[in-house]
Amino acid sequence: MNEAERSGLSTMRDCWISGGSALTVAPAEWQALVAGAAAEEHELLLLAIAGQAFDVGFRPAAPKTLTFRPALPTLGLPAVPDRHRPLFRSALKNAADALGKLRVIGLTEARGYVSHPLDWMPSASDLEAPGAYAPWVDWQAQASGKGPVLEELSADNWDDFYPAARRVALADIRRNDPAAARTLLEARAGSEPAEVRLPLIELLRVNLSPDDAPYLQSLASDRSGKVKLLAARFLARIGQNQTGTDGEAEAKELAGFIEPGRTGLIRRRTTYAPKTVKNNAQINRRTELFDLVQLIDLAKALGAAELDLVEAWQLGSKDYADADFARMVCASGSDDSVSALARNLMQADGVYALSILLPRLDAGARRDFARLVLSRGVLDDASLVRDVEAGYFEQPDMLDSVMYKQTRAAIAQRKPDDRSVPDLSLFGYLATPGAARAIIADLTAAGLGPADPSLALLRLNAALSER
Amino acid sequence: MAFDLKTIEALAPDQASLSAASKLTKLSNWVRLESQEGLLWGECQGSGANPYRVVVDAGDQGYKCTCPSRKFPCKHALALMWIDATTPAAFKTASDIPEWVNDWLGRRRKSGGAAPPASAGPAKSIGEAQAEAETRQEDPAAIAKREAAQKKRLEDTRVSIASGLDDLDQWISDQLRLGLTSFVDAASERCRRIASRLVDAKAAGLAGRLDEFPATLLQLASEERPEAAMRELGKLVLLGKAWRAAPGDAELKRLVGSSETREQIIGDPDALRIKGVWEVLGERIETRKDGLVSHATWLMQMTSGTPRFAVLQDYYPASAGRRAQAFSPGERFEAELAFYLARAPVRALVVERGQAVSGLGWPEPADALADPLAAHLARQNAAPWSSETAVLLPAGRLARDDRGKAWWQATGDNGGIALPLAGDLPEPVFGMTLEAAAGLWNGARLDLLAAYAEHGRLDLA
Repeated sequence: MNEAERSGLSTMRDCWISGGSALTVAPAEWQALVAGAAAEEHELLLLAIAGQAFDVGFRPAAPKTLTFRPALPTLGLPAVPDRHRPLFRSALKNAADALGKLRVIGLTEARGYVSHPLDWMPSASDLEAPGAYAPWVDWQAQASGKGPVLEELSADNWDDFYPAARRVALADIRRNDPAAARTLLEARAGSEPAEVRLPLIELLRVNLSPDDAPYLQSLASDRSGKVKLLAARFLARIGQNQTGTDGEAEAKELAGFIEPGRTGLIRRRTTYAPKTVKNNAQINRRTELFDLVQLIDLAKALGAAELDLVEAWQLGSKDYADADFARMVCASGSDDSVSALARNLMQADGVYALSILLPRLDAGARRDFARLVLSRGVLDDASLVRDVEAGYFEQPDMLDSVMYKQTRAAIAQRKPDDRSVPDLSLFGYLATPGAARAIIADLTAAGLGPADPSLALLRLNAALSER
Repeated sequence: MAFDLKTIEALAPDQASLSAASKLTKLSNWVRLESQEGLLWGECQGSGANPYRVVVDAGDQGYKCTCPSRKFPCKHALALMWIDATTPAAFKTASDIPEWVNDWLGRRRKSGGAAPPASAGPAKSIGEAQAEAETRQEDPAAIAKREAAQKKRLEDTRVSIASGLDDLDQWISDQLRLGLTSFVDAASERCRRIASRLVDAKAAGLAGRLDEFPATLLQLASEERPEAAMRELGKLVLLGKAWRAAPGDAELKRLVGSSETREQIIGDPDALRIKGVWEVLGERIETRKDGLVSHATWLMQMTSGTPRFAVLQDYYPASAGRRAQAFSPGERFEAELAFYLARAPVRALVVERGQAVSGLGWPEPADALADPLAAHLARQNAAPWSSETAVLLPAGRLARDDRGKAWWQATGDNGGIALPLAGDLPEPVFGMTLEAAAGLWNGARLDLLAAYAEHGRLDLA
């Protein structure tokens, strides 16, 4: 198309936009083309030529402001193989809730794979996503830029890292060299906003020791209340109080909710039990105080040693007092206190309160907790199993458990037209591949369709063993 | 548990369904027949371009078919049960359950199975259905009468369409006279009015196109709309002129009036036929304003040096419910395709479908520096009334403009050609370098169907 045609076309367009004939403003060559036709057709023929000119004569040009996202980082693990992606998608789709989805992602990672980016991606604010996904969490937060840094984290390149990748790198350093991680935090955490600073300082829970005390004490003057509270709890875990804070009054108030007593005929022992409360307002206040007060301060207010208080705590009270107490022990108790309470809760079948302690328990204790849940057979407790290693439980652990037997019975006793199935995601998550295959075979024998969607995670589990 | 004929008889909604199912029990109608522990599924080539996917659960007699029939179970589901009852060996035992079967299982109600077999209603007989299928013969006199009537109908239709096209020309002239600004503002109402007139004039193809045009306009920025209106109205003028010059032309008849039947295309010796390996790029299932659902499955030939595309196009009433996908994106199979006669043939039917194929790569896209829209230009030269062209684009990346709209741009061509996308795509795709991408270009927007990247094949449809 020559310049005259371009100019003519533009004028014709303006003419037709406002309404009227474009015959006289059309390029001379085009007027000649339509001249042979009947007069009433001139306008239509010009329209046909002009429309075609727009279609083939122009090329869309890139706007000046095109913004490209950084390249999507390659993760450290391979993506789920293509042949298993439908199973992965099916397991995700059939997950009943966020925990179910997390189990699919967790099991997949335990088997050495990550999701395909079009099947699942963590969001920019997803702190629960497994560490392998940290580069994608950061990528989600980046509108543009050059992408992630691949060096080791240091004070010098701190700002080059995006938050999730930095947190994963710092967690690695903390595991291997706790002092180096603390030094990095001392140097750089203070300049981060509170919502970034808090999860970074939270990493000190790994290998927490008295060496961390000076830094934690310095956080007593932090501008964020949440950071201050976290530091106070960490100090309490190592048996220290935060200087300059006044939690004594609250500890005394909380102690007022607790009744010391004596037990034993020959060897008299002190016991601590929550007092009966009169109304919801008191329950709420007590819960609030359990969140604010450190275990060490409560023990002091009751005139007891921390571990003695935990050992003497009378389990089985009403109104969630055990759960509130477990939350306090989890937040600010020493490792010994956590172990003691976990041991007592395990013996007392205090599953809900025990689940609160899970973040502080080691892998073995977490597995014991999962075994307890399986052995009790309360189907609703399945949702309490979090942070337990995926794909560990062998066939007898699963198939002989009360929970499994109840699940199987529920399936086998369904009416012919009932297709409801209890949530099987806990079994799908915990089972070894062999156990997953055995469960699929057993539930199919019990009447569940072999392709029933509720088996999706179990089928993914079994399939991902084939590497 | 296998089906028995008594159960099928009881499940059938009426005798006609049984008779129709009887014909479909011929294994040649089925592209795929598979089973796994009481679950049966298959793909039946019906009268449409896309096969129907049928799944039956022998355990509770639940069933699902993607056909638009309002009979439950439809003839395809009945035929699948019937084959199971009489020729169970026809079902191949599958090691994996396809995703579409899994999807159906996932969507089934959690309680309440299939409706129990009807105990009342007219009597139905499998034996009668088989006998009907064997004995039905056509009466030669009736055929001659039907053909004569059809000839007259065709002539009446031609006259009627010609009159409708005159009205269309007048209507387009009016739009130019009144101004495209007012046309764009009132496009829905104005297009609906002329589309109704064209339906009356038996120009259903043109009517459908005009009915859909306002929706296409609305996808564009307001400043682009008058130009898009000029392009589309210009194409309609060209199509009308071409039809008047050759009303018997198969392509023009189809675009203006109505389409040929499957049998006509399969039986047409002039229809282009191509055997090869085809990949399903993606499907577009859209409900149109005229109450029809347009179901288009785009295929790309893997075994040709240059990219060749085909589209399996069906229309069915929206009242039949939204139909499920007929293929899985990325699926590859050997097939012979028969193309509808056209200057640049794209619409096709599957004549014969063979084995699934794996291991072939996409054809080479054009060089990054070549014009990525060359295929569109070639198509416009051959058939200037066509509105969209399937294109295989070279390596490129996606980006956003300052309004947040998505664009595709060839790698290393900053500031050069960039194609605006019709819709948005999953965010991760914006972080990938697309080694090649296949999509539909309509002169204003690129509708991406699939792409290849470091992460493998991406389903973007």
